[in-house]
Amino acid sequence: MTMPVTIIMIEDDEGHARLIERNIRRSGVNNEIKPFTNGTDAVKYLLGADGTGLDHKGHALLILLDLNLPDMTGIDILKMVKQNSFLKSAPVVILTTTDDSQEIKRCYELGCNVYITKPVNYESFANAIRQLGLFFSVIQVPPAA
Amino acid sequence: MAPEARRRRTLGQVLLLSAGFLVLVAVSTASVLLVNKARSDSAWVVHTVEAENQINALLLEVRRAESAARAYLLTQGQEFLNDHEAAVAAIGPVLDKLNALVVDNRAQVENLAALRSVIETRLSQFDRERLLVARGDVAAAIALLRDARSTTSSKTMRDAAEAMRLEEERLLALRTANADASQQLAAIVTITGSAMVVVLAVISVLLVRRSTRARDDAEAQLRESNLNLEATVDERTADLREANEEIQRFAYIVSHDLRSPLVNIMGFTSELDELRNDIFRRIATLARAVSASPPPAEGAEPELEGADKQLSEDFSEALGFIKSSIAKMDRLITAILNLTREGRREFVPVRIDTRELIEQIVSTLAHQADEANTTIRVEPLPAIVSDRLALEQIFSNLIDNAIKYMKPGVPGDIAIRARTKLGFAIFEVTDNGRGIDPRDHQRIFDLFRRAGTQDRPGQGIGLAHVRALVRRLGGTMSVASELDQGSTFTITLPINWNVSNRNSDR
Repeated sequence: MTMPVTIIMIEDDEGHARLIERNIRRSGVNNEIKPFTNGTDAVKYLLGADGTGLDHKGHALLILLDLNLPDMTGIDILKMVKQNSFLKSAPVVILTTTDDSQEIKRCYELGCNVYITKPVNYESFANAIRQLGLFFSVIQVPPAA
Repeated sequence: MAPEARRRRTLGQVLLLSAGFLVLVAVSTASVLLVNKARSDSAWVVHTVEAENQINALLLEVRRAESAARAYLLTQGQEFLNDHEAAVAAIGPVLDKLNALVVDNRAQVENLAALRSVIETRLSQFDRERLLVARGDVAAAIALLRDARSTTSSKTMRDAAEAMRLEEERLLALRTANADASQQLAAIVTITGSAMVVVLAVISVLLVRRSTRARDDAEAQLRESNLNLEATVDERTADLREANEEIQRFAYIVSHDLRSPLVNIMGFTSELDELRNDIFRRIATLARAVSASPPPAEGAEPELEGADKQLSEDFSEALGFIKSSIAKMDRLITAILNLTREGRREFVPVRIDTRELIEQIVSTLAHQADEANTTIRVEPLPAIVSDRLALEQIFSNLIDNAIKYMKPGVPGDIAIRARTKLGFAIFEVTDNGRGIDPRDHQRIFDLFRRAGTQDRPGQGIGLAHVRALVRRLGGTMSVASELDQGSTFTITLPINWNVSNRNSDR
């Protein structure tokens, strides 16, 4: 990996964020994780100061996205990312409590790469995150064009 | 209008019409009778006039005979004698005719008899005079004439005729008055009757018009209230649908959002569990170091002792309760989520051979049935139009329950049968299982509620779900059961369910 991948974690529930981070670390992924607890801040960061996403040109990003955010839905962010020419190549992992099939279908249609339902059962939860870590280690994240 | 008043009004109209008809019949009868009477009265008047005529004719003929006789006496001309004889010949028929006319009146008959005798006397006198003239004794004949003239015969005759005429005059006056009276009466009756009929007709017309107006008003009112009713029903239905959707959304959001903190609770509880292991391992190591006992073999778990062991066990027990509670809560939340999702699913009516469908369910449950030593009998079942998935869920829940709650040690027997009645198919799922206390018949249909010995896994969702599905399919369900006597679940479903049924239900 020539360029370290930055993991953008957009998750309003700090407990969830902590659990996700812990499990990612446990799976041996040591990349930088940038946490955001609301949509507005995350969008601001992703699009940069000029609102075009140009800041991230040449960066490799991976986005972990919760759908239920206090100020907007994760779907909006997903759409925004996939419509931005600099960000659209960044893989998006939806990590949420909703297991509604309509919602899942919608996310895949909008271009999300992985959809993970947060199970209440912690074993399953930790397992899912660790597999995600495995996923991180095998996928090639292209730098933003 | 009150039904009482309406009935009275209808009765009034019938009475009025009957009265009008009766009046008409009475007037007609009276008219016919009176006209007949007037005609006979007139006939009597004519009769009287005829009689008078005949009296006058008689007198005329007698005068003619008399004057001819006198002329003959004076001139002895044969032509006068002929005249006289002709007149005398005419008297007889006239008398007969008169007699026929007055035969009904005794007084007139007597008068006529008197008149006849006077006339005959007179005629015999004429005969005698004529004989005297024929013998050439004219003077004696004239004397005889004078004598006759002076005697009463001529006057008597006039008096008798006069009496007859008077009698006829009297009769004429009487009969004319009678005829007038009856004609007048007929006229009065006719006019009065007509007037009454006209009045009744006018009243009838007024009543009919009033009732027509009342009917039109009632019709308009009915139409209006129908429209109102439809509008009200639509409004209520829309309200209900909205409320229902609101509840579904609410249940969905609540159950969904409850999950999020649950993930944390479970996650950090597991983290605590991990921590506990670390902590107690450390305590064990430290305790061993303090007591200076030999260190355990490499890799072996350090043993806890005494109070520390108790502490560790308490810790584990607390965490265990927390975890099992969380797991239970998660199952409940998942159940609610699934129910709301099911409630939002669109039903698709298709034609279903229910026997085939239930036999499929039975074959998937065959293994469980074998384990429970239970036989399942599927009797011939009708084909109905309904939602396939909903029917599958309904029957698999019921049959699954029946297998689940068999009486221990008794071979199970489950029967599924159906009959159709008035556009509905009535399905019965009967078992010989442990049965349900009648006190619990309502409770078993409530969400998360169960009944009887709690020795089988379950959330208390199945029957609540089944009942919700049956209701959405426009049907009803009930249970008949006694403890230890088996149960029969009865499901009534419309044979031809369609989406509009459903919409009207919702």
